[in-house]
Amino acid sequence: MENYIVEMLNITKEFPGIIANDNITLNLKKGEVHALLGENGAGKSTLMSVLFGLYQAEKGEIRKNGEVVKINNPNDANTLGIGMVHQHFKLVEIFTALENIILGVEPNKMGFIQKSEAREKVVELSEKYGLSINPDALIEDISVGMQQRVEILKMLYRENEILIFDEPTAVLTPQEIKELLKIMRGFAEEGKSILFITHKLNEIMDVADRCTVLRKGKYIGTVNVKDTNKEELSKMMVGRDISFSVDKKPMKEGEVVLSVRNVTVPSKLHKNNAVKNVSFDVKAGEIVCLAGIDGNGQTEFVSALTGLEKMSEGSIVLCGKDITKSSIRERSVAGMSHIPEDRHKHGLVLEYSLEENLVLQRYWEPAFQNKGFIKFDEVRKYAEGLIKRFDVRSGQGPVTVVRSMSGGNQQKAIIAREIDKKHEILVAVQPTRGLDVGAIEYIHKQLVERRDAGKGVLLVSLELDEVMNVSDRILVMYEGEIVGELDPKTTTVQELGLYMSGAKRNTVKETNHAG
Amino acid sequence: MDTVFYLIQNMLPVAVPLLLVALGGMFSERSGVINIALEGIMLFGAFFGALFVYSIQSSGINPQVILLLGMVVAAVAGFVYSLLLSFASVTMKADQTITGTSLNMMIPAAVLLFSKMFFNSDGITTNVGFFIRKIPVLGDIPVLGQLFFQKTYLTVIIGFILLIITVIIFYKTKFGLRLRACGEHPQAADSVGINVYFMRYAGVSLSGILGGIGGFFYSVGILDGNISGHTGVAGFGFLALAVMIFGQWKPMKILFAALFFAFLRTLAYSIALIPFLNDLGINQTYYKMLPYVATMVVLAFTSKKSRAPKAEGIPYDKAKR
Amino acid sequence: MQDNNKSPQKKGFDLKAITKTKGFSAFTAALLAIVLGLIFGFIVMIFANPDRAMAGFRYVIFGGLGRFGDVLYFATPIMMTGLAVGFAFKMGLFNIGASGQYTMGMFFAMYVGFMWDLPTGLHWVVAIFAGMIGGMLWGFIPGIFKAALNVNEVITSIMFNYIGMYFVDMWVQSNATMYIASKSCTNYLPSSVQIPSLGIAGSNVNFGIIFAIITAIILFIVLQKTTFGYELKATGYNKYASDYAGMKGKRNIVVTMMIAGGLAGLGGAFAILAPSAIAGSSMTYEPINIIAANGFNGIAVALLGSSNPLGIIFSATFISHIQRGGTLANLVGFKPEIIDVVIAVIIYFSAFAMIMNSTLAKFIKTRFGKKGTVLPNANSETKEAK
Repeated sequence: MENYIVEMLNITKEFPGIIANDNITLNLKKGEVHALLGENGAGKSTLMSVLFGLYQAEKGEIRKNGEVVKINNPNDANTLGIGMVHQHFKLVEIFTALENIILGVEPNKMGFIQKSEAREKVVELSEKYGLSINPDALIEDISVGMQQRVEILKMLYRENEILIFDEPTAVLTPQEIKELLKIMRGFAEEGKSILFITHKLNEIMDVADRCTVLRKGKYIGTVNVKDTNKEELSKMMVGRDISFSVDKKPMKEGEVVLSVRNVTVPSKLHKNNAVKNVSFDVKAGEIVCLAGIDGNGQTEFVSALTGLEKMSEGSIVLCGKDITKSSIRERSVAGMSHIPEDRHKHGLVLEYSLEENLVLQRYWEPAFQNKGFIKFDEVRKYAEGLIKRFDVRSGQGPVTVVRSMSGGNQQKAIIAREIDKKHEILVAVQPTRGLDVGAIEYIHKQLVERRDAGKGVLLVSLELDEVMNVSDRILVMYEGEIVGELDPKTTTVQELGLYMSGAKRNTVKETNHAG
Repeated sequence: MDTVFYLIQNMLPVAVPLLLVALGGMFSERSGVINIALEGIMLFGAFFGALFVYSIQSSGINPQVILLLGMVVAAVAGFVYSLLLSFASVTMKADQTITGTSLNMMIPAAVLLFSKMFFNSDGITTNVGFFIRKIPVLGDIPVLGQLFFQKTYLTVIIGFILLIITVIIFYKTKFGLRLRACGEHPQAADSVGINVYFMRYAGVSLSGILGGIGGFFYSVGILDGNISGHTGVAGFGFLALAVMIFGQWKPMKILFAALFFAFLRTLAYSIALIPFLNDLGINQTYYKMLPYVATMVVLAFTSKKSRAPKAEGIPYDKAKR
Repeated sequence: MQDNNKSPQKKGFDLKAITKTKGFSAFTAALLAIVLGLIFGFIVMIFANPDRAMAGFRYVIFGGLGRFGDVLYFATPIMMTGLAVGFAFKMGLFNIGASGQYTMGMFFAMYVGFMWDLPTGLHWVVAIFAGMIGGMLWGFIPGIFKAALNVNEVITSIMFNYIGMYFVDMWVQSNATMYIASKSCTNYLPSSVQIPSLGIAGSNVNFGIIFAIITAIILFIVLQKTTFGYELKATGYNKYASDYAGMKGKRNIVVTMMIAGGLAGLGGAFAILAPSAIAGSSMTYEPINIIAANGFNGIAVALLGSSNPLGIIFSATFISHIQRGGTLANLVGFKPEIIDVVIAVIIYFSAFAMIMNSTLAKFIKTRFGKKGTVLPNANSETKEAK
């Protein structure tokens, strides 16, 4: 029997409607870098949150040095020497780096903070590990890279020996990534144990000793990194079998409906641009998929495209009309339909009834109002028609409060609304997120049906299966740029994975040949 | 020159209640709870302070000692009353603005009710002379002595002492650091083992204590030790909120904001004594409006760049991490 | 409640369906808050005078019934301020400035009453509209501050309560026609500007209450039937979704605050233009630098009526009813201020009554009920029975 510092045995964690972790076992050796690999929604973050005490598992147990432990909150984790760098940093922006590091474990005399004592220790740690920070700079003024170093120092200051990194490279530049990986290696050599959540295969090959792969909440396997290669890992992550395929007629390419040129969008999270100089066209009758790992600028790009946020540079032309500066309503009228990423935040008024939500984009049209009075009879008739056509199921039909409907049917309602409205381009952002297989299949069918009806479809997706099966053309977005244009018929999932993880890139050919 | 002395001597007793109550608001909001109930807390503190003074005014104790004891009573009263806000907004996660509004409405009515029942008047009238002509030794310092230690109240000195204590607690102790973390990023605070609920109770309680004291000092320094349920504290609790915003939720800036507002108000009530303003013949009411109008102007100019504690007003829910 | 009416399958009286609607849980929450408020009031009464507490409390609960005319008369202004608060609430704005808007409306109405010479029958109508305009002006300013400068409407409207009150007091005091310095209150308004009485003996109740109820019904229709109401509620429920749907959020903020102000202004007009039961006199205003309490009572009215205009008709009547009761309790030695305390307690509990309600329901269900029943207002996503 091996000597493990942490054992997570048969962990099962359920959320309403979904099993996030299904009987997962993970063993961590002392002094190793252990990668945790999986697609979005594979259950990696949930598993780590269980270890850090943010969630409690329904089944299974956690052992530290062979002894069963109960981790009910982050304090317990800290006592056991477990620290975590969260994907979204937990730093107080108006505090200095030093204040953030000592928060919760302040060295003090009768309640008075002994800052100089703390500073000495922090400076010493930062020099020892090459984590250069300015202890007196405010978090809001420093780069994301330095913020991350502050998070790491937080763990070191607490003398944690098990360090969890949740997708730490997602927000870093290539140079910073290299630096970070070196530091992680250094920790391991010193005897600390590292859990490293990622889906970037290059990084795993570079730094990890072993790798555990999860897929759809299930444990797939643990491999020694030196005995494997990227292709094999990618296969494990994605799964060999493709669960279902979509029936598609050959594409009938039409005119360009959407033309995006040099769009640049500033980020709200850091000082760099979230979207950098993005250009592409979508033609009538094709499904273009914007693929990529979460947080590579897709959300910001869609916000700028649909008018929810302003972009700093570039132009957007829809059906020959420049809509760069148009309002949301004007874009909608000009022919843009939008299935939003977050259906609860943007897509629906949950307190409204189904019929009220079905006219959310059209209530002001003469068909549904007369002199400011909503024609409820028309709304009812229209809603009943849509409900029937799109098979939206609900407790009380048109008057059901949307909050009480299932996620799949809520999404169907949005799709019905956006598809039935006059449109030339359909922007669908992660339309199948969190849905079951049946609903996913239905939504894919609807997207293909739009394409066959001669509309342009821009699909933003994180799911490799979806990208490969539904789209006619794939644009891969990585760190705010389009790094590759692929044909799903000739490419493989493994290849796509390489682009998405930044391991490969090609320049996008200019798409001027339409006519 | 006499006018300047007069204005400053009169301004300080007005500034101190504003200062203390705004500092209280700062503690509450920096912990993450909007405290719109300061108006009510002030009146509650003022009422109990005055009630205490009334009950021992004939005992012959030194007026300044009575003031100190009354201050303690007012602080306790404010603390107890603020628990109603913490309970509703932290434990029950209720809307902080609505809860605060109800607490503001309750006190004037309760004061009137009590006073009518037991004193057959609208409030409490006391007859202790808190006014100090000249503080020995300090009052003899040229200029400064005349500005700060003559024709004043003990409240002014206590107010500045409390300001210094506040600054130390806020910036030098681990309590202050943790409190500020809870108002900015409670999830971060929670992830390093800080009890967010406790810190918010603490923040609101401190605002209750300072609000109660501020109310009592209002009654001492502005109403000569009396208090009425009818006029209450004349919107000083709300003005203190504006002072706090103007002061950017920081103690020293709050001091200057409080002095600024107090100056405007003192000016408004001393027009008759300032010849050149009096000669302008502007209706005095305009001057009375000045603090409120100034608030609006200040807010209009500072709101775009002003930086409220990020998590204020949002009930913290452990389950929603 | 309206969710229920629209239901296609009206199969008679379905208690289970009714208890699950939002309207019902708002109603029970309000009831819970009222009961707690009254219990508190009773405790205060026992504390004040144990012997007479029961008699006083009986006055509070039932006293208003004998003076229904007065109840309606005093309900009129708070119904309007309640609508002013509730309407803004629907859009997610807390209009604590109803007090200033009310005072401003009152002054505008008074100004027309004293200074304009108009024929009987027209005079009071014009005065009412003037009141509405005064209130709209005082709602418009916080609206602009919110929409253009993003200044929190709560602070703005509180400041404008004071500014409005000082303005009005100054204008009144400097107008010799309006103000009688010796009595330190306003002169009697000409009878042509007084709203016609409803003729219930011994009370001042007048057509104002009818107008208030009609206004509430109109607002109900605006909220339920018009595109504007649709946008307003959507913005109040989910600001992001309303942006996504292309609604003009900033314009709607200003319009909503203007309407809310206009409603409170009408309340002020109805209050000052009411006919007096004593011939040759009228309502008067005392400029004593105090902000109007009716504006704050509007908050209680709106919360109890869960911001529904029809609910507000009843909650205003109820608040007025216990206020009358409080005045009557004076007969056995209790001060009417006790009712203001009770109202404040009711608001306090209203703020978390919904939570208490669902906790209570959960407790009862887990204790006495079967497993798996869905709570009336559980926030979690519940799957519908297919």
